[in-house]
Amino acid sequence: MTGPTPLALKVVPPRTPEDRRVVLRDLYVKYGGSVRERCRYLLKDASRAEDAMQDVFARALVHGDSFRAEASPLTWLMKIATHHCLNQLRSEGAAWRRWFARDEAARSEGHGGAEAMETRDLVRKLLARVDAETQAAAIHYHVDGMTLEEVAAVLGRSVPTVRKRLEAFAELGGEELNVR
Amino acid sequence: MSAHESTWTLRRLHVGELPALEAARVREHAETCEACGAQLRSFSATQAAFEAEVPFERFEAGVERTVERQARAAKEPVTRAAWVRPLKAVAASVFVLVLALPLLYRDGVGTVQPPVMGNRMKGGAGAELRIGGGAEPQRVASLDAPEALRPGERVRLGYTPETHRYVAALSVDVWGEVTPLYPESGDSLAVEPGAGTHWLPESVEFTGVGAERVVLVLTDAPVSMEALSDAARKSFEAAGRNVTLMAPLDVAGEQAQWILLKP
Repeated sequence: MTGPTPLALKVVPPRTPEDRRVVLRDLYVKYGGSVRERCRYLLKDASRAEDAMQDVFARALVHGDSFRAEASPLTWLMKIATHHCLNQLRSEGAAWRRWFARDEAARSEGHGGAEAMETRDLVRKLLARVDAETQAAAIHYHVDGMTLEEVAAVLGRSVPTVRKRLEAFAELGGEELNVR
Repeated sequence: MSAHESTWTLRRLHVGELPALEAARVREHAETCEACGAQLRSFSATQAAFEAEVPFERFEAGVERTVERQARAAKEPVTRAAWVRPLKAVAASVFVLVLALPLLYRDGVGTVQPPVMGNRMKGGAGAELRIGGGAEPQRVASLDAPEALRPGERVRLGYTPETHRYVAALSVDVWGEVTPLYPESGDSLAVEPGAGTHWLPESVEFTGVGAERVVLVLTDAPVSMEALSDAARKSFEAAGRNVTLMAPLDVAGEQAQWILLKP
């Protein structure tokens, strides 16, 4: 069995169309599924999710230098995708508050078994009741399965701050959302 | 400690982001752990489904179209009640000229005031209104004197959030007409992640004549644009319906205000 691929994605500022294509293909095969899954989870619409996914990867292309400097391109992309979709919902106005609670059109995109799917659905339903940072923390913690330390790093907050936010979030949803 | 690897660790293994030693350990665990193995396989299945539904050529075309659309959006007109046309000159060069001023507001008699944070002062956050796109070189709008705009000039708003998490901006014209700018409706926007100055999208141009007050607010909790607009109207009325004499809006957080004189 071969070893893992290198730590950092080799995204370089596009110099020629061919270089750019190589970069895009690398993004596509490594991260396409994950980013689209995140967009579908939040937007609950395949077409809009694809548009959002394209926005995220376009941003990775345009900000190639900073993206390349990331130790974890996956973390960068998932953070941007989450932020982009939450902002998109918010910018659509008051209806976004009803959006999360609406689940009849949603299809669970998770693969962690019935319990994990229920947790993801529960998290999504509760998102409208908390501020944007708590939304992001809840998604990264409960849906992505990041540790408290990883969530804190993504959000640029301390672990106690993230814990506090997640504990407040858990109070809305019961034991299933307890912070460990 | 959990007997299983975290979902995030498995996801990073899947995309090849774990260091070699950790990757070997996690992979070995996943080979003997049914739950972790299933989780890893699910990531592969998600990626496979994605590739089956969205061929690379379609993905590539969509991303390239988006890059072009985003570039065009900075150049094409956008219609708003009192603002039109986000345009190129400011948008193109604003990112290389980052000069965040301390967040100050100017009171009704022109005195520069310290940062506003409820009743407290707080340093670090910043805001900037940059003017460009006309015949003159770009410049940063002053907080302590009205700034005259020349024909064709546009503005762009930047902010350094520091500890704040939400940003919003609106403007008030000489008749007290409030125009929510960022966002146009709903609640204030979550600040962009990362340190430094972030620029709100689009550069904008004023239409009409007379003074226009631009207010940028940084807060720790989301604020509805309706509430912000109400606060602006109250401030306008309290100032005797004189937009140049308005006090800071009565909202929590920090705010910066500029007065622009439309050509």
